[in-house]
Amino acid sequence: MRVAVTGTPGTGKTTATDALAARAAADDSPSDRLSVGDSTLKIVHLNEVLEDEALYTEVDEDRQSKVADMDALEAWLEGRDDVLIESHLAHHFAADRVAVLRCEPETLETRLTDRGETAAKASENAESEALDVILGEAVDRHGLESVYEIDTTNRTPEEVASALEAVVTGEREPSAGEVDFVGYLA
Amino acid sequence: MADDDKWGVAHVHASFNNTIMTVTDLTGAETIAKSSGGTAVKQNRDEASPYAAMQMAEGVAEEVKAAGITGLHVRVRGPGGNLQKSPGPGAQATIRALARSGIEIGRIEDVTPIPHDGSRAPKGKGGY
Ligand SMILES: Nc1ncnc2c1ncn2[C@@H]1O[C@H](COP(=O)(O)OP(=O)(O)O)[C@@H](O)[C@H]1O
Ligand SMILES: [Mg+2]
Repeated sequence: MRVAVTGTPGTGKTTATDALAARAAADDSPSDRLSVGDSTLKIVHLNEVLEDEALYTEVDEDRQSKVADMDALEAWLEGRDDVLIESHLAHHFAADRVAVLRCEPETLETRLTDRGETAAKASENAESEALDVILGEAVDRHGLESVYEIDTTNRTPEEVASALEAVVTGEREPSAGEVDFVGYLA
Repeated sequence: MADDDKWGVAHVHASFNNTIMTVTDLTGAETIAKSSGGTAVKQNRDEASPYAAMQMAEGVAEEVKAAGITGLHVRVRGPGGNLQKSPGPGAQATIRALARSGIEIGRIEDVTPIPHDGSRAPKGKGGY
């Protein structure tokens, strides 16, 4: 099974996925693998793959951001079927379930500036989050029946990890559009 | 577009199930009208979203015309802004409603933000 964990940068994908992996490690499985039920998923941090394998076509100088080579990433993912793919690009690829992490935009902006990102980067991502850009893309590509929206605002990484685990085990129902962050733009 | 004073800018924000619009003068400094939002009815989102956005736009159009504006340039932000089918089709419904109310539509610009960290998806990859 392929699980995509996506969401605007700053929603806590890497943190929550690491927390989930740490649990698995405590259960004696290797730290890059998740054993859930009878399946074992390898965790793929897709942004690291993009960096390490140089799978980008150019650099967006305005945003200091590498433009992903989607075909090359897709080719890299080919044949990797039992994986949990963690990245804000993850929903652009084939997956059985797509978890979309959400965060109230002002909180997201603070998380990003605290992480050391520039004001411009924090604010464009907060605006993207307010407009549900990634959620919309995920639903367009995968359909409402495969998308699991998880609001991380005021939730600890451990709580988010539990929600992710429930997506993987099938204990959580699909959901989308339950948050409304458009007030941030008004 | 003989008389520039009669033109304004409609800033349309179309999210997954809500569409809001602010109309300003050409400089963006003065707000002429502001919507309270066209929120979709969740159970019937596919139909409700464009319909709610349309109603919202009709209300704003009346205010805009009362203020003497005859034409609007449109700046669209949101997944519905790239004129493709998407779950947030409020943007297109908004523009159509403005045009139907007799307002002339000028330039339509898509200024949808791009989620990014050290990497981003190519343009046009978003929205599908
Ligand atoms: N649930 C949470 N509550 C509060 N802060 C969080 C949470 N998850 C992550 N953070 C913080 O927010 C920032 C972004 O988290 P990160 O996991 O890097 O996000 P992403 O991988 O989605 O870009 C980090 O500084 C992290 O410590
Ligand atoms: Mg990350």
